[in-house]
Amino acid sequence: MRVLLVEDDPTLRNQLRAGLQEAGYVVDEADNGRDGHHLGANESFDAVILDLGLPVLDGISVLKRWREAGLTLPVLILTARDSWHERVAGIDAGADDYLAKPFHMEELLARVRALIRRAQGLASPLLLCGALALDTRSGRVTLNGQPVSLTSHEYRMLSYLMHRPGTVVSRTELTEHLYAQDFDRDSNTIEVFVGRLRRKLPPETIETVRGMGYRLATPP
Amino acid sequence: MRTLRFRLLAATLVAVAVALVLAGLLLAGLFRDHVMRQFSQGLNAQLDQITARLEFDAAGQPQIDPQALTDPRWSRPYSGLYWQVDGANSEQQRGVLRSRSLWDATLILPSDAVADGVVHVHEVTGPDGARLLLVERTITRDDLRATPWRLIVAGNLRETVMAVARFKGVLAASLAALLVLLCAAALAQVAIGLAPLRALQRKLTLVHAGTAQRLDGSFPQEVQPLIDDFNAVLDRNAEVVTRARTQAGNLAHAIKTPLAAMSQAAAVALQRPEACADLATLVEEQVGLARRHVDWHLARSRAAAAQGVPGARVLVQPVLSGLLRVMERVHAERGLTLHCTPMAPDLAFAGEAQDLQEILGNLLDNACKWARHEVLIAATSIECAHGGRMRVVIDDDGPGIDSDRRDTVMARGARLDESVPGTGLGLAIVNELVGLYGGRVRLQAPPAGGLRVEVELPRG
Repeated sequence: MRVLLVEDDPTLRNQLRAGLQEAGYVVDEADNGRDGHHLGANESFDAVILDLGLPVLDGISVLKRWREAGLTLPVLILTARDSWHERVAGIDAGADDYLAKPFHMEELLARVRALIRRAQGLASPLLLCGALALDTRSGRVTLNGQPVSLTSHEYRMLSYLMHRPGTVVSRTELTEHLYAQDFDRDSNTIEVFVGRLRRKLPPETIETVRGMGYRLATPP
Repeated sequence: MRTLRFRLLAATLVAVAVALVLAGLLLAGLFRDHVMRQFSQGLNAQLDQITARLEFDAAGQPQIDPQALTDPRWSRPYSGLYWQVDGANSEQQRGVLRSRSLWDATLILPSDAVADGVVHVHEVTGPDGARLLLVERTITRDDLRATPWRLIVAGNLRETVMAVARFKGVLAASLAALLVLLCAAALAQVAIGLAPLRALQRKLTLVHAGTAQRLDGSFPQEVQPLIDDFNAVLDRNAEVVTRARTQAGNLAHAIKTPLAAMSQAAAVALQRPEACADLATLVEEQVGLARRHVDWHLARSRAAAAQGVPGARVLVQPVLSGLLRVMERVHAERGLTLHCTPMAPDLAFAGEAQDLQEILGNLLDNACKWARHEVLIAATSIECAHGGRMRVVIDDDGPGIDSDRRDTVMARGARLDESVPGTGLGLAIVNELVGLYGGRVRLQAPPAGGLRVEVELPRG
């Protein structure tokens, strides 16, 4: 899962990036509103963490511009402005969640997880696909109740697919969501990881749709 | 177009100009009618004289003795006063008798017959091309065979027309002079009338420059309420600034203490590396403390800003629906049902929107944190001894609070459960804000379980 982090304070940004990366997210960063807006409008992200007090262009304006342009990606506002009228303004500008600073990293991660899941229309934090189960809270994958050991790359890929059951996901889309902007996208790592993932899961779990991409088979 | 002076002057000038033009037209018309009537009365008198001098010979032909007519204008050619006698029945009998003043010309009348004796008025063109006013009367001798005769008197209108023109000239000149005078009066009026506003502008400049604190002096009755309100705003502004300084001082003081503790501990840790574990605990603790100070002082300053705003009024329904939108997002994971009983759309709170948001936001946030399945909100208008009030009731189906601990949660910084994130200031802030508005908060246990929070506030 790829997350955009727009925060101008370098210390907090580094802490947030570290925490998010540790939780398995790919993080792109911006330290001002204009760059943040540009990244969000032109790259694919699964969620955005947006500060409000940003240089060049403030967070509310960034959010409004995204929403006016029809971007529906889930946005969490993370700000020290925590009065209720500011929360109402943030939500009404199109935010999906609002977290006041100071905050606990665990709470932020829980909220980002929930945002990404809800954005795919999934209500439960436990994602199921036949005998395969993925718990977004703990990051554990089980098959028939038995834990499956996955590397962080493999987990990210499976998680992305399990958030979109039955949907064909192209290789480009996977690359865009699993790697940061500066990643060399010409390599064939996607195929390599799909191959490794297939070996750990029951056959036919990940189907190849010729010329289009991959799809997680939904059990009848 | 933007200035009052221009608007006042434009309106006055247009009104005065229109009134003067109308008056001029009316007066000129009246004068003309009057002069014409006088002229035709004079002609009538002459016609009566001619009628009296009219005699008939044995053949029934009319005779008038010119010697009997004394006015010299009857005999001077083209003098401007003429008489003529026509046979009423045939064109050949036109100008049977004429005054000498007509010389060899004949007056030509429209051949419209009228009843005996009635005077008839025409305007015709005279012998020298001048416009004439003409009066005529038809006379018949008393025997039955006799033919009717038209007796005619005409006078030149030149004098009359000239008199009317002269009058019009004089009238236009006087009205123009009047217009100039009225314009000068309007200018003076605007200057005098708007003088207080200019004075006000000068005083505002002084306030702007910082040399004056408020707008002194007395102003006309129409402006004084505005001045009073503005002074009230200035006073309040000064008060707010003072209070903000105090608040900032308090906050700085409150934060410097934890900072000092941390810096002290850091210095110790630098010298004794084994104290590092203690440092982490201390930092965590002091940061928590500083954070509570910040929250508390922020809430207090928001609350203080609310005091003494006269006439503030905010509708409850939009505030509540905005907060519910936030709750639905922020507590989306909890899958709660937020149910708001329909309320009167004009139900309003007598205070500032931000304070109502702060009060209801904290209460709703608490309810959503603790509720198992649903939160019920109802806002109603009530009447009591203190005047019109509004009551908001928020019910949740959470664990509730035991009756003996309900007072504790209202105290500053109290938290009953550390496992749910929050600062523990929510209810204390609500309590303080509601107190400032002279309202009250009550915690109750509804029969179905959970917690009921009831807030009473002044109604707007």
